[in-house]
Amino acid sequence: MEATGRPPSPDDDDPVPIFGTWRGIYTAVVVCALLVMGLVALFSAWPY
Amino acid sequence: MDRLDWAVLAAYMVAIVAFGVWAGRGNQRIDEFFLAGRRMRWWAVGLSVMATQISAITFVGTTGQAYTDGMRFLVFYFGLPFAMVVLCVTVVPFFYRARVFTAYEYLEKRFDLRTRTLTSLLFLFGRGLSVGVTLYAPSLVMSVILGWGETTTILLMGGSTIVYVIYGGNRSVIWTDVVQMAIIWFGIFLCFGVAIAQLPSHFGLRDALALAQTTGRLKVMDPSPSLTAPYTLWSGLVGGFFIMLSYFGCDQSQVQRYLAGSSLTQSRLSLLFNAFLKVPMQFLILLTGVLVFVFYHFHTPPLLWNAVEMRRLEAAAPPELPAVRARYEAALLARTEAAQAFSRGGRPAAAAYLAASQEVDAARKQAIVLVETVNGGKRYNDTNYIFPSYVLANLPSGLAGLVIAVIFAAAMSTLSGEFNSLATATMIDFYKRFVRSGGSDAHDLLVSRILTALWGGFACLVALQAGRFGSAIETVNRFGSYVYGPILGIFALAVLTPAASARGAFWGGLAGEAVVCWLVLRSPVHFLWYTLIGAAAVFVIGLAISATTPRAAGA
Repeated sequence: MEATGRPPSPDDDDPVPIFGTWRGIYTAVVVCALLVMGLVALFSAWPY
Repeated sequence: MDRLDWAVLAAYMVAIVAFGVWAGRGNQRIDEFFLAGRRMRWWAVGLSVMATQISAITFVGTTGQAYTDGMRFLVFYFGLPFAMVVLCVTVVPFFYRARVFTAYEYLEKRFDLRTRTLTSLLFLFGRGLSVGVTLYAPSLVMSVILGWGETTTILLMGGSTIVYVIYGGNRSVIWTDVVQMAIIWFGIFLCFGVAIAQLPSHFGLRDALALAQTTGRLKVMDPSPSLTAPYTLWSGLVGGFFIMLSYFGCDQSQVQRYLAGSSLTQSRLSLLFNAFLKVPMQFLILLTGVLVFVFYHFHTPPLLWNAVEMRRLEAAAPPELPAVRARYEAALLARTEAAQAFSRGGRPAAAAYLAASQEVDAARKQAIVLVETVNGGKRYNDTNYIFPSYVLANLPSGLAGLVIAVIFAAAMSTLSGEFNSLATATMIDFYKRFVRSGGSDAHDLLVSRILTALWGGFACLVALQAGRFGSAIETVNRFGSYVYGPILGIFALAVLTPAASARGAFWGGLAGEAVVCWLVLRSPVHFLWYTLIGAAAVFVIGLAISATTPRAAGA
């Protein structure tokens, strides 16, 4: 299973940017996605 | 294209190959060749993930689709942000901490060798078949647009990509993707700006949007619950969500990009970067296509967008052609007048405009029937030729060459990721697992480069022969959706439940593939649903088999 040339263990302790927690970032992504969908719906139905 | 356009295109081709070779220098081991030494930052990986997904045919196809049909295709990406969050929570940490080169390698740790081999084979089968089409489709469009032979465009796109991927591996792929994505973004904004600037002075953006809305081209949200209707809100949100889960979570061409991140945080951020930007980017591309549609109300569009087919039709000179052409020109004139009346304050003219617009469509349909008759009944579709034709005819000197370079960039960024991932799966899941596991770094690197060359050559070979396959091409192009469901189902069993056994995953995977084959051959269900249904079938059947299997025997 172990292939040759495996790199040293990666650092997965980088600080979580902006919101400080992954939960905060995921919530922001979901809120933004819903907002974008709402804006697209508004754009489609807007009485130009 | 004038000399300046050719110079821009030539400069792009030379510069991107040179840059790719330079960026990928110094590979000594296969972890450097396949995973860029796991030293990449999130923004570079994120742009590479985006570039791998946006193929040339996506770029010219979606603008053309917006021109002919509107922006409904946008819903296909609605599930993407949610899929990215789920992947960041579930499989990305599993892959990262398992220290794997391929997504399928993880399955041997979780289940057994045969499940890993089956899943990797499904990937090689689906991706390997479609990579030739990924090369052929834009090459065909470019050959018509630039007046070159298909062989020339196939060898130019495929050959130049092979050169830098063989030399620099994943580091070349990622860094060239970054440059190509910057060029693509610039091209998108450029086309969008030019399309707005070229509207008549008395006809503003608001009028353009009102006109497009009247024809239904701004409609995105179709709440129909139908499983057979294309691009409904639910097929995009639910079906698209599962397609994105499978594509970004289980397709090696994407997994390999984010495994190159310098940490788990960097890998996660690269996917979330796409979650934020993908829908707005597709929105801009589609809206550009809609604006091109409005633009051609005030400029004369050709009867057929494929110039080669138009010349063939003129050479055949069917007796109906002059009448069809006269009808088309008269309809265009009437549509222009109706659009002029349809300016602000003139909205009651909508009915007259719609009637004129339908007459244009009817005249064009007559022309298409003539082409199909001349070609012995072969189906004609020129959607992919609309945007490149618009670019060459209407963009200023130099900029047209740049946008053609953008189309090349989109093609090459996808191909590079696919060549690299196909070589990785073959090397890690088969060569190092079954043929020679203890090779030296130099030997492994040499074999990896040979495999990259073989897959690149295979893609060129398929692309060169693709014209003979006719309508089978469309089927092959959708092949990804035939294997994504079972692959996703196997990964769901691996990650979501400890109750799944190796036997359940293997036989559940085969049973799920059988379900998808049945859907393809025997049901009218739209392909956006295949992944969800296939994955659900694997999950349910796999769990049922696992429940009847003693843990010690099956796991």
